[in-house]
Amino acid sequence: MSLVSVDGVSKHFGTHVGVNDISFDLETGETAVVVGANGAGKSTLIRLLASLSRPTSGRLELDGTSLTDGNAAVRARLGVVTHATMLYDELTARENLRLHARLHGVDPKRCEQLLETVGLAERGGERVAGFSHGMSKRVSLARALVHDPDLLLFDEPYTGLDQTSLRRITSVLEGIDDRTVLVSTHDLARGFELADRLLFLNDGRLVGDLEARAVDDVEDVLEAYETRCRGRPGENQPADRTGIHR
Amino acid sequence: MNRRYLRAVYEVARKDLVVESRSKQTINAAFVFSLLIIVVFSFVFGEQVGQREVLARGALWLAVVFGGAVGMSHAVAQEGRNEALDGLLLAPVDRSAIYLGKVVSSTLFIAGIALLSLAFVVVFLDYALELESLWPILGVILLAAVGFSAVGVLLSILMLHSQLQESLLPVLLVPLVVPIILAGTALTQPDLSDGMTAAWFRILLTYDALVLVAGWMTFEYVVEE
Repeated sequence: MSLVSVDGVSKHFGTHVGVNDISFDLETGETAVVVGANGAGKSTLIRLLASLSRPTSGRLELDGTSLTDGNAAVRARLGVVTHATMLYDELTARENLRLHARLHGVDPKRCEQLLETVGLAERGGERVAGFSHGMSKRVSLARALVHDPDLLLFDEPYTGLDQTSLRRITSVLEGIDDRTVLVSTHDLARGFELADRLLFLNDGRLVGDLEARAVDDVEDVLEAYETRCRGRPGENQPADRTGIHR
Repeated sequence: MNRRYLRAVYEVARKDLVVESRSKQTINAAFVFSLLIIVVFSFVFGEQVGQREVLARGALWLAVVFGGAVGMSHAVAQEGRNEALDGLLLAPVDRSAIYLGKVVSSTLFIAGIALLSLAFVVVFLDYALELESLWPILGVILLAAVGFSAVGVLLSILMLHSQLQESLLPVLLVPLVVPIILAGTALTQPDLSDGMTAAWFRILLTYDALVLVAGWMTFEYVVEE
């Protein structure tokens, strides 16, 4: 049985359609990378799976349990990193992690181990307000991992990072091989390195779903993405307007 | 309510108090606002209104309501920065626990603002605060703070991503807390009969219970996208 099941999910914001009739499954341990230009619906999809947003129609399930009916227990199995860090500037990195550890019923000692993992053990006592974006993002990654979730959702994890943070976050992501991971990015090269599967989103629709091993390199991925974007009935999107970075 | 639920209420309230103790944004904004209202009342009406005690009660509750609205707006704004509220919403606990935690911390802020305002009206408007009426007044302040916070947290979270939050919050909040203003003004009268005191306390308690239950039941839908 699939760990994640997305079945006919749509999300409308008034007249704007965020995602439109999306369906896919994810197996345990699989890493899927969602590729799409800005506004393609990547963040909306992540928020729906994170149970931070309710779909207008369709079903989202984690291990057979609905993610949309307000079941609190299912959230213990989700770890989420979005472009916002979800941290309190006035608290230290350690206090932020401990807050989330306690809310998840996890021993706060695990926070020390995670600070070590993201390379901030020595700065854990400093307030997040004084951190760079990259450092905050690393704390945010530790926050998402604090309860050892089964499904990890990352929305644009590489955006705006310095080299140190980029290396740290990439190394942590590469080290997660026993968890199901969904990463949204428009950084094709990094996405491709991680992916077992590639999901192509365009204008809120899932236009492609392929095994990463079916393509040889990033250029192939880009070509496959562009072909599928162009292939939609009634659409003719030029390759240079896909908004994807190699 | 299980242990994890109560723990979440405690953690959210504790986090708010720690954040506030470091930023002091809520208390500073509300403190200055309340002080200004009472000082302006003192300068403008001080010599012209015969019954200083009536003036003091009016100024006290005006300061509490508007100072509280300013404070509430600042207190909830911290949840919008870095979308920190989403982090709380991901916790595996009924989301009403987050609401109750925020009501607890806001109640302490509002009660603090009310106590400061009470001290200001005693100093600037010669409000005669007698020792035997101190405990009933503290009780009124606490009940008023609970009701105010129960409505205020819900409204301010609802408007968290609105650019008009600071100006819109008092406009929406004040009509909803009219029962608190009426009960508070009545219950701080020194010569109120026992029967009337009991009646106003009942109104305040009923109001608190109603808005708390309404907030507790609807918070999940308020934060939902």
